[in-house]
Amino acid sequence: MYNNSIDNILKSKRRLIEHLVNQDKPEAMEAEGGCGVIGFCCTEPVPGKHIHEPSRLMHNRGNGKGGGIAAVGFIPEQLGVTREVLDDCYMLHIAYLDSGCRSDVEKRYVDSVFDIQKTAKLDTVDDWKSVPGLAVKPPDVYRYFVRVKDDVLSKFIADNQFEKLERRDAEDELVNQNSFKLNQEFYVAAKKQMAFVMSHGRNIMILKVVGFAEAVTQYYKIDDLCAHAWIAHQRYPTRGRVWHPGGAHPFTAMNMALVHNGDFANYHSVTEYLKQRNIYPQFITDTEVSALMFDLLSRTYKYPIEYIIEALAPTTELDFDRLPVEKQKIYRAIQATHMHGSPDGPWFFIIARNLIQNRSFQLMGITDTAMLRPQVFAFVDGEVQVGLIGSEKQAIDATLTSLAKDDKRICPVADKYWNARGGSYSDGGTFMFDIVPNEKGIYRLECKDKFGNAVHITDKTESCDFVTETGSSHIKDQIIKAVTNYVEEDKSLVDYFKSNIPVWSFADIWLTCKTLRELAKNNAYTSYVISTLSLLNDQNFPTGNKRRSHILHIVRTELDLLLKSFPKLMSKLEDGNTYRLLDFGTRDDLRKPKDDEKTLVIDAKLFPPEGNECDAMYLVNAFKMGWRNFIVFNCAGQRYIGCGLGPETHDVSIEVYGSCGDYLASGIDGLSITVHGNAQDQLGQIIKDGKFVIHGDVGQTFLYGAKGGSVFVKGNAAGRPMINSVGRPKVIINGTSLDFLGESFMAGDPHNKGGFVVVNGIKFDEEGQVVPLPEPYPGSNLFSLASGGAAFIRDPHRQLVSQQLNGCIFTPFTEKDWELILPYLKKKKKLFGLTVDGKRLKPSRVYRKVAPSIEGVPSTPEKDVYGEEEEVDELVEEEAK
Amino acid sequence: MDQSLENNFNLEEILPANTFKTRVTQTKVERIVKSAPTRYRNEIAKYIIFRNEEKCKLCGKCVATCTKGVHILKQGYKLFASPLSYKCNGFVCEKTDHFCVSNCPEGALRLVKSPMMEALGDYRWPADMMLATWHMAETGNPIPEDCDFEYETGDSDGGFDRIRIAFPDNPVTVSEDEIDISLDLNKRNDGRPNIKIDVPWYGGGMSFGSISNVTQLSKARAATAWNTFSCSGEGGYMERLRPYDDHMITQVATGLFGVREETIQRVRIIEFKYAQGAKPGLGGHLLGTKNTPAVAKMREAVQGIPLFSPFPFHSVYSIEDHMKHIDWMKHINTRALISTKVSTPTDVDMVAVGSYYAGTHIIHIDGGYGGTGAAPDIAKKNIAMPIDYAIPKVHNFLVSEGARDTVVLMASGGIRNYFDIVKAIMLGADGVIVGTAELIALSCLRCSRCSSGRGCPRGIATTDPGLITQVELDWGTQRIINLYNAWTIGIKDILKRLGLKSIKELRGRTDLLRHLDISNN
Repeated sequence: MYNNSIDNILKSKRRLIEHLVNQDKPEAMEAEGGCGVIGFCCTEPVPGKHIHEPSRLMHNRGNGKGGGIAAVGFIPEQLGVTREVLDDCYMLHIAYLDSGCRSDVEKRYVDSVFDIQKTAKLDTVDDWKSVPGLAVKPPDVYRYFVRVKDDVLSKFIADNQFEKLERRDAEDELVNQNSFKLNQEFYVAAKKQMAFVMSHGRNIMILKVVGFAEAVTQYYKIDDLCAHAWIAHQRYPTRGRVWHPGGAHPFTAMNMALVHNGDFANYHSVTEYLKQRNIYPQFITDTEVSALMFDLLSRTYKYPIEYIIEALAPTTELDFDRLPVEKQKIYRAIQATHMHGSPDGPWFFIIARNLIQNRSFQLMGITDTAMLRPQVFAFVDGEVQVGLIGSEKQAIDATLTSLAKDDKRICPVADKYWNARGGSYSDGGTFMFDIVPNEKGIYRLECKDKFGNAVHITDKTESCDFVTETGSSHIKDQIIKAVTNYVEEDKSLVDYFKSNIPVWSFADIWLTCKTLRELAKNNAYTSYVISTLSLLNDQNFPTGNKRRSHILHIVRTELDLLLKSFPKLMSKLEDGNTYRLLDFGTRDDLRKPKDDEKTLVIDAKLFPPEGNECDAMYLVNAFKMGWRNFIVFNCAGQRYIGCGLGPETHDVSIEVYGSCGDYLASGIDGLSITVHGNAQDQLGQIIKDGKFVIHGDVGQTFLYGAKGGSVFVKGNAAGRPMINSVGRPKVIINGTSLDFLGESFMAGDPHNKGGFVVVNGIKFDEEGQVVPLPEPYPGSNLFSLASGGAAFIRDPHRQLVSQQLNGCIFTPFTEKDWELILPYLKKKKKLFGLTVDGKRLKPSRVYRKVAPSIEGVPSTPEKDVYGEEEEVDELVEEEAK
Repeated sequence: MDQSLENNFNLEEILPANTFKTRVTQTKVERIVKSAPTRYRNEIAKYIIFRNEEKCKLCGKCVATCTKGVHILKQGYKLFASPLSYKCNGFVCEKTDHFCVSNCPEGALRLVKSPMMEALGDYRWPADMMLATWHMAETGNPIPEDCDFEYETGDSDGGFDRIRIAFPDNPVTVSEDEIDISLDLNKRNDGRPNIKIDVPWYGGGMSFGSISNVTQLSKARAATAWNTFSCSGEGGYMERLRPYDDHMITQVATGLFGVREETIQRVRIIEFKYAQGAKPGLGGHLLGTKNTPAVAKMREAVQGIPLFSPFPFHSVYSIEDHMKHIDWMKHINTRALISTKVSTPTDVDMVAVGSYYAGTHIIHIDGGYGGTGAAPDIAKKNIAMPIDYAIPKVHNFLVSEGARDTVVLMASGGIRNYFDIVKAIMLGADGVIVGTAELIALSCLRCSRCSSGRGCPRGIATTDPGLITQVELDWGTQRIINLYNAWTIGIKDILKRLGLKSIKELRGRTDLLRHLDISNN
């Protein structure tokens, strides 16, 4: 049924801007900038102070010239209102940059329009200069709980022919237009910048400053204010000597707040698209335009969220072809209508919304189709559930650590970390966390993708109660005896763990780890204990019904305690311990190793992430002094670990624990480096030689411009691994990659000192078993424009299609190829503890080879070598024999 | 050579021990001007002297008359050697007493303008400007007054060709010795060593592969002689360049070819190349035919296959990524300065300021006039903003941001001669980067065949083992040294005529420029 309410809404906006349209165009120059973003939501309201740690750790993604936070879903009592007022009223937050204009603003845009339930000035600290990270004095902010006066609304409806609209929708539109007018008069007009609306939705608040994001909560004293969802944003603007908070993120539309990392290439086009619908930006940044676009699609056009996402990040290439036909029809129509308004270029949005009709709150992350910005999602299951979205995994971990410190029911290790595949048919590049009340009125977290498919987190339900857990076990003696025996006889304890963990309680596991840590005090056993705990951290094994994340937290806690217990460099103790600890406090004690000192253990915790004082720089200095073995732990986003040591470092080994940062191992030339966990972005760039192992997933642009080395990844590589690689890199990726694997790969002939990549397309399930991924490689671009090397993809079901290749071909997988990759697969098996059972097939039936098609060289079509088709129904790993 | 680095920093403290061996003795190349005559017997000339051998009586009067040494009669020879027409001043001589044609008693000489002038050069680099550059590269001196080369400006009717320097009638008197044209490259005061170069320009990045190793070495040696810099380009850092480490910029470009920690640690300046003004948004492209075994080895790629540098950096899609990138390089090399090379989009000012906040020492903006034959015409002429627009835009924005005096702004893209250098600085740059002019000094013809594989007829932009032997290293070095010398004299002369003692005083002096499009000025 068509009704003309959309037309009427757009028409009604025309009156707002009539006087603007004929004006000379203002200088529409968008402010560019990159950013760091983090968002998290929780089934219980959590205080604002938890954005401190992740915000602080992402200072290097902003420049302190713009920061902001948004919160959704408050506790009414904290705001001094009733539940009804909080639910029904608009929370109008007006920022007064010039406090003198307040009475004027209130007279014209508050008192005359609204019935006010409550007015309050947001409390602030007395001296803004006492808050670190503030560049100028933040504005005074007043909060008004309001509803539109009945007669004003009725007149508005009559004037604009909104009779067919829901009365509440008309009220929303009035609030929206009222804010526009306020901003226009007191902010935009004549560049006054006296007052503007920060947010006007229900049960939502936005605050922003010229400074770092965490300064917001400190200045406005909302460290203890609780909300279900928080987002924080560090901005890196590049324009305007005097910045003002109006341009900072988040931006609001009705009942939603949006932050953005990246910038559009087509800001102008998107703005034009909005102008055609009588929507004019007032703050001249691409983020504001994104919020306006989202508002248009959701509130005016009333699109379901799936179509909104499609309009923003269109599904393309092979992914489009793989959509069901009905969806293709709709998507094609959406793309045809909205392509001009679809932001082009690198962007990643985090959006927090109050979904009033569903009585729920939502946190959502959307990535652009080409996945040009980093993004990580995480989910913590349990009694209290937490959903997190961030630019960097380390920010997520920092948030979780902060949350867990306050509430022991939250485990600091998430149950699942993952990336979205932009514009894909599988997840649509979007994940949403919905906080929905169940039938008992208790909020639970649901995570789903663009298509509404629920994300499977974990089947395990047994949690460790970190509140009461003391690690006291009734089989204590038995465990201590067994562990001591194993250690003394130098037998592998990992098997002992693996066979017992399914039946043990968390207390037993903890006790065992503690016992190990005690044993490590004996210098003879130290390295044995470290490697045992590392293996437990790195490998997958059956856990019974216990959450793996909780076991990991126990293992990591004990490992950290052990590493922290090592003597410092200036320790006078003649203890014969070959390990020495360097932390931020004692960093200046760094000296040459003495004869018996073998390993330098660096506690990265307080080191800055980059610069002359960073841990990676101390590592280089230590290397120059003669240290050769390093353990770096307690990382919180520290970058460049392993960089700068120069060539000929074959005798150097570095073990990294914690949330290590970007650019790790970039440029290594000979040394071996192991990351015990997930890793971040831009790792292993221009790596020349050495061994690089990652016991987890790895982020964007992995091994860009790599020239050599042996690289093993236990999990997935996100977008763009191995672009422009040359020389002889040999790479094994156990999982898969999102897209653009090996673009412009140029690494010679793999059989003649060249390089190659093996993609196994497998993962570990919760029982520690190897299972195939739904597809070995889902992206539309595999080995595009490669001119050398080869990609070997494990694809027994022949799921790869030639549309995924651009300039390459499938060529026969030969015995010679198998001989080439087998040693590396065996090495990988040893590293990751991989064993697979199943029907064995010829390697040529399991692996497929993608290689450049060289002009003038006739290619052998792949099918020629296979002969008769066999049934392939089981997972096959020839290496397992 | 700048000794400040050696004096102020103990290298052992700032370089990992295992890279010491790369610190081979810096080869000294003398800054001496020597004649480096053309390597062709019959160099392209503006005028041609024809001698009627039947009329000529070998009296030798023309030899005595000519002040340029065009006519050569060697003792014991029965005939004149063919005249060195390229040295001839042409019809300018008509009004003088040393015009050989009118002085010849037999009327045996005839002077015509060479028809080749119609074919040589282009609007941006007219034939006269190329001949003038060759002349300077040969002699090391500016063009003498009595020469009729139109080389101050080209014929493009735009850019620097529409801009003139307005010399005051009575400038303050300054003596030549007082004039300082050196340039400091670190203004951040961030604890990294300052680098002072003796001239306000350095050589642009051209990769091994796009040009021959002889060309690259000639550039590097000339830069060493003049205590300035040359840039490796992105095709790897030749071992043979090691003696000139202190005067090399290693380029980290989007293809990351040949970029290793070791090469990054060798140098004093690291340049990030995001884009080239000649082809913004197109990345780099080395044609398969130029990818010879030597090039392929250097880049560790497969011989004979076209090599692409992507656009942009796949690891940098946002300004905070750029900062991360810079921090990475600063981490690997703790003494180097960072230069960021970008092309000139309409928001180049914001790009520049963003880069400044990210910690770069040098902002290098590359405008749309430059580029060799390897850049597609459609891109060269239509994408980037002309550099004469971009310089003031960036300069003024940096000034308004209060950042102008803590960052060095270098401009490139169509800087052809010292007049362009002066104009660029007057528009707001600190210094410039030159590329094509150096190749012209090596007798490039601008035939625009750089892209056609090994086909550079002059053996400059080629990697063909046969063709590269055309250029000798000493000769190539000397030609560029000479050109630099001529420019230095020229710039000092301009400063003198303006009454200024230092090139630094010239920066942003648009009041001393006149644009032909603006009347009443």
